[in-house]
Amino acid sequence: MKEVVLDCLGEACPVPLVKAQNKLNEMEVGDVLIVQLDHSCAMKNVPEWARKDGHNVEVEEVDDGEWEVIIEKTK
Amino acid sequence: MAEQTTRASSRRSSASRKPKKNQIPFGVLVVVLIAVIAVWLNTHSQTVAFFWLTGCAFGFILQKGRFCFTASMRDPYLTGGTSLTRAVIIALAITTIGFTAIKYGYAQAGLAIPGMGYVVPISLATLVGAFMFGIGMVIAGGCASGTLMRVGEGFIMNTIALVFFIIGSLWGAHDFGWWKEHFISKGPSIFLPDVFGWMGAVLLQLLLLAALYIIAEQYEKKRGASH
Amino acid sequence: MEKSNTKFFDRVKKNEYYIKWLKNPFTYVTAAVLLSLFQIVTLAATKNPWGVSGTLAYWGAWIYQGLGGSVDKWYYFASSGAQSTLAAGILNHGESWRNFGIIAGALAATLLASGFKVKKIKSVRQIIAAVIGGLLMGYGARLAFGCNIGALYSGIASLSLSGWVFAVGMFFGAIVGSKLLVKFFM
Repeated sequence: MKEVVLDCLGEACPVPLVKAQNKLNEMEVGDVLIVQLDHSCAMKNVPEWARKDGHNVEVEEVDDGEWEVIIEKTK
Repeated sequence: MAEQTTRASSRRSSASRKPKKNQIPFGVLVVVLIAVIAVWLNTHSQTVAFFWLTGCAFGFILQKGRFCFTASMRDPYLTGGTSLTRAVIIALAITTIGFTAIKYGYAQAGLAIPGMGYVVPISLATLVGAFMFGIGMVIAGGCASGTLMRVGEGFIMNTIALVFFIIGSLWGAHDFGWWKEHFISKGPSIFLPDVFGWMGAVLLQLLLLAALYIIAEQYEKKRGASH
Repeated sequence: MEKSNTKFFDRVKKNEYYIKWLKNPFTYVTAAVLLSLFQIVTLAATKNPWGVSGTLAYWGAWIYQGLGGSVDKWYYFASSGAQSTLAAGILNHGESWRNFGIIAGALAATLLASGFKVKKIKSVRQIIAAVIGGLLMGYGARLAFGCNIGALYSGIASLSLSGWVFAVGMFFGAIVGSKLLVKFFM
C-alpha cells in the first residue's frame, strides 16, 4: 500500500497520460498513484483512461487550473 | 521513497492549501468585452462581427469539450484510446449532412455551390503537407485550433508554437509557387458528388465513417484487453 | 458592494446549472455536435466552411510587411483576392477575427470555470518542441491547403476527396510524431 506522487505540472498532453500509464504498470495492486497536473485536457483523458482500465479514480481540483488525479490500482 | 499515507490524509493535505480564488467575475468581464468588441466591429462591418462571434463560439466549445484533433489522431497509436477519434468521426458525419444539404440547395437552384474553394487538388503536396502537419501537431501539443484555444487557456508553450506556426506559414507561402508548379497543378480536385451523385456520395461517406467508428471502438477494446 | 459581489459569485459556484454548463467539461460528443452546428452555421451564413491556418499566412505576411518585406512577388499572394485582402488589413479580415475569437472564447470558458492558470515553460525541450512543431504545422498546412480544420474537417465535410487524403497523411504523421515525442520530448 504505497502512495506515489507523479508531478506532471507544466507537462502538455499526452505526456501526463503516458507517464501515468508507465508508472501504474510498475506499481502493485492496492497502490495509489497521485498525478498532479495543470493541463485541462489531461484532467479529462487521464481519469478516462484509468476508469476504462478498471481502477478506482478520483479527480480533485486543488487550485485554479490544477488537479490531482488519484488512481488506486485494482488489477 | 513514497511515504505510507492513506488517501484520507492526502486529501487533507490538499484541502489545507490556500483557498481558491473565484475567477468567475473575470470570466463575466471577458464575456462583456467579447460583446463590446462585437458591437464595435459591427459598426464598420457586420461580416467581421459575425466571424468574431462564431470564433468565440468555436473557442468556447473547443475548450469546454477539450476537443483535440491532435489526440484524435495520436491516441489510437500512443495510448490506445479512441474516444476523441470517435467524436471527430461524429462531427464529420453531422457536418457532412448539413453541408451537403446547403450545397444541394444551391445546386438545385442553379446557383454556384458555396464552399467549393475547400475542394482542393490532390497531389503529393497534400500527403507531404498533411504528414508534416501530423508530426508538428503532436510535438507542439496542439493542432491549429488547439493551439489557438490553448493560447487562450494560458499555455506559454502553445503561444511559442503559434508564433512559429505563423513563421512556418509564411515560409510555406514563400515556397508555394514551387510546389504548385511541380505537384499541385498536376493534381485533380475531386468533389465526390461529381463521381457518385449527391445521394451516393453522402451515403458512401457516412458508411465509411460508420465503419471507421466501429473499427476505432473495437480497436480500443482489443488494446485495452491486451495489457 | 464589493463584498456582496463576492458572495454572489460564490453562490454561483454552487449552482447546479453553473456546474453543469460552465464548470464541468462537456463530453466529447456534445462538443462534436456543437462544433458541427457552428460549422453548418458558418457555411450557410458566409458561404465558406471554417478554416484556421490560411489566416495565419496572412498574419505572417502582415508582420513581414510591417518589418519592411514585400510578398507581392510571391505566387501564393499574387492573386487579386489575396492582394486586396492584404491591402484591406487585419481589421477588415473576418477570418482573423474568428481566430482571435477562438482565443477569447477559450479564455472566457476557462475563467468562467475558474480554471485559468498561466502554464509556464517547464524545460528547454518544450521550447524546441514548440518551435519545430509550429514550423512543421505552418509549412505543412500551406502545402496541403489547410490544417486539421480547413483541410481535414471542412474538406471531408465538403465531400472533397482531398480531405480523406489529408487524413491519411496526418494519421501517419501523428504516429511518427508520437515516436519522436516519446523519444526526445518526454
